[in-house]
Amino acid sequence: MAADPKMRFLVVDDFSTMRRIVRNLLKELGFTNVDEAEDGAIALQKLQAGGFEFVVTDWNMPNMDGLTLLQAIRATPNLKHLPVLMITAEAKKENIIAAAQSGASGYIVKPFTAGTLSEKLNKIFEKMGQA
Amino acid sequence: MSDFGGMEDLLQDFLQEANDLLSDVDNKLVELEKMPDDRALLNDIFRGFHTVKGGAGFLNATELVTLCHLTENLFDRLRVGEIDLTAELMDVIMDATKGVREMFGELGQMVQPQPADPAVIAALQGVLSGNAVKLDQPAAAQSESLAPTPASGEPDWSVLHAAVTGAEVSAPVSSSEVITKAESAIVEAVVTPTAVVSQSAAPASPFGRRGTDRPGGSPTSARRAEERGRENTIRVDTSRLDQVLNLSGEIGLTKNRLTSLRADILAGKSDAETLHALDQAVSQLDLLVSDLQNSVMKTRMQPIGRLFQKYPRIARDLARQLGKDVELVLAGEETEVDKTMIEDLADPLIHLIRNAVDHGVEMPEERQAAGKPAKSLVRLEARQEGDHIVLIIADDGKGMSAERIRAKATEKGLISEEEANTLDERQSLNLIFLPGFSTKTQVSDVSGRGVGMDVVKTNIQKLNGSIEIRSEPGKGSVFIISLPLTLAILPVLLVLLGDQPFALPLSMVREILPIEQSRIQEVGGKETLVVRGEVLPVIPLARLLGWPPVRYPEYGVFMQTAERSFILAVDSFAGRDDAVIKSLEDFRPKGVAGVTTLSNGQIVLILDMKELLSDLGQHSDIGSGIRALDFA
Repeated sequence: MAADPKMRFLVVDDFSTMRRIVRNLLKELGFTNVDEAEDGAIALQKLQAGGFEFVVTDWNMPNMDGLTLLQAIRATPNLKHLPVLMITAEAKKENIIAAAQSGASGYIVKPFTAGTLSEKLNKIFEKMGQA
Repeated sequence: MSDFGGMEDLLQDFLQEANDLLSDVDNKLVELEKMPDDRALLNDIFRGFHTVKGGAGFLNATELVTLCHLTENLFDRLRVGEIDLTAELMDVIMDATKGVREMFGELGQMVQPQPADPAVIAALQGVLSGNAVKLDQPAAAQSESLAPTPASGEPDWSVLHAAVTGAEVSAPVSSSEVITKAESAIVEAVVTPTAVVSQSAAPASPFGRRGTDRPGGSPTSARRAEERGRENTIRVDTSRLDQVLNLSGEIGLTKNRLTSLRADILAGKSDAETLHALDQAVSQLDLLVSDLQNSVMKTRMQPIGRLFQKYPRIARDLARQLGKDVELVLAGEETEVDKTMIEDLADPLIHLIRNAVDHGVEMPEERQAAGKPAKSLVRLEARQEGDHIVLIIADDGKGMSAERIRAKATEKGLISEEEANTLDERQSLNLIFLPGFSTKTQVSDVSGRGVGMDVVKTNIQKLNGSIEIRSEPGKGSVFIISLPLTLAILPVLLVLLGDQPFALPLSMVREILPIEQSRIQEVGGKETLVVRGEVLPVIPLARLLGWPPVRYPEYGVFMQTAERSFILAVDSFAGRDDAVIKSLEDFRPKGVAGVTTLSNGQIVLILDMKELLSDLGQHSDIGSGIRALDFA
């Protein structure tokens, strides 16, 4: 499935520099419709307001971390089909298992390039196309 | 010259945010010493290092990633209770944090950080691998691998995902079953290549390059060269910007109204209604412009807490070094100060805090012997008082003895015995601000700048501020710094020479008095005036400016600068004003700080008294100058 450049992303990270990095990388890939949230709790509020089609979230955040956000999304009927790409600082086994179990659509390790991000996104788009 | 082609903006953002984060971590570390088991603190500190690491990765700052990674792991162990926080461990953590800050400094210089101090890395690794590793042991014991190369170091998500969930992307997490052995075996297989890849890529050290990989000077010399770069960006509350925008809009509307009124008036319309409308529009503009000035000024205001944040750590480190028990208590962090002023206050405040910890506060035993609690409190406080910001650095230490200070100043030849005998308590305490008074050579310790008390005072005065000391032997000392709210507007006293007005900074003016010729006395060949027992030299402004004397000056302005108090003799006054200073960029005559425009459009020079007086110093003899003037 070809990705729609108008697709609306929500980038969730407590570090604004990181949100900017992700936003820039998405822009490089042609996705310019991006909103940001500072933690899981704010993200959930924004998501519930509607209109988002893709979530890219950091793992480690205050208030509500990325995993809890992911679980909350999967437990919310009108959000549970949203693709969620988890960002984390390292490929720890238990993290990956936890993410997968909670229903993450993909997993990306910092630092990454636009190329890596594109690869991850495309895999998720493919799956969505099949579904 | 830059290691960050195309990423400069990102780097600036990162540094600003990461510096704040690190200051926060520093403060939490100081708190942690008091509450070593506080899980929330441990978590916050963990997250701080973790976040910095994540950002550093995108900047390819490998050494910073390595250092943060190790420290983060340490806090991970601490927060789950696998290791206990000991005093030694705290030192390691403090060193690591210092290392991170030094690396920020290097990044600020647009160069990739040098590897961290090998001793710090070894110590961290030692703790992580069970305390046994010594300095020279290779760091291979690290069980967990850092994966700096994402492309090669990542598990195949789809394989893993299939293994754990059965490949249902949108499946809700009802399958909370325990992972079977088979599943975790797959995970193992997928994940472990990470370790293999990164280890074979860097056989010498799993933590990336060593110091020798990098050409160029030694790490320490590079660090020495570190100079605090000024931040050229500022973070402003959007509501404040909105206010500015709003006001500019309003001003635009009023301008339109005036334009249309001008057309009417030029067309010959001058009835009462038109004039009333004109009056209204101008009054409104007046109000709006002063509101706008205020709002714009506010965008430059920052809470001083951003500066204060750094100090508890500095005080703590120094106290530990000296074997003292000191707590730095902060108050009024929310007080807002002009951004440039915050930057210029950093060094003087560090010096005063260090001074309080080093000289002010006694050793614990001494304190107990004097019936005080062993732990001493140093208070750093900010507050706004009218149009001034007041900063207070107070300690509960041994205080200063005026007598001993006088003796020391005499001994060092800074003042004569005679002079010493004429000084009162306040003047004696002020002797510590004389160049050459500070004995201890703290050059290397105090941010490498060799700041002495005299420099503290000069720096405060550069900000049009003043500093005052109060001290009570046995009870402690208080330093009180008073600063104007902003540097953009300078309250001035307008004085006249003939018809020509000049502006003097009001902060230096103590009082205004008439000069009666009969009261002028010659002391040691110099013209002086006795004001409440204080003998002050009389210096005519005309002479300072090199103007020929026209008539005898009638008024004296009692002025006080760092070096001296004196009476500046002028012809008359034209009141006081809040001057908006325009600096003279290309042409700057000596003794002129800038210019300002009066409401009648007249341009007035703002005098730089210090520069004018230094000129006088060259002639060295104030009195002879005055005598040379023939007032008869």
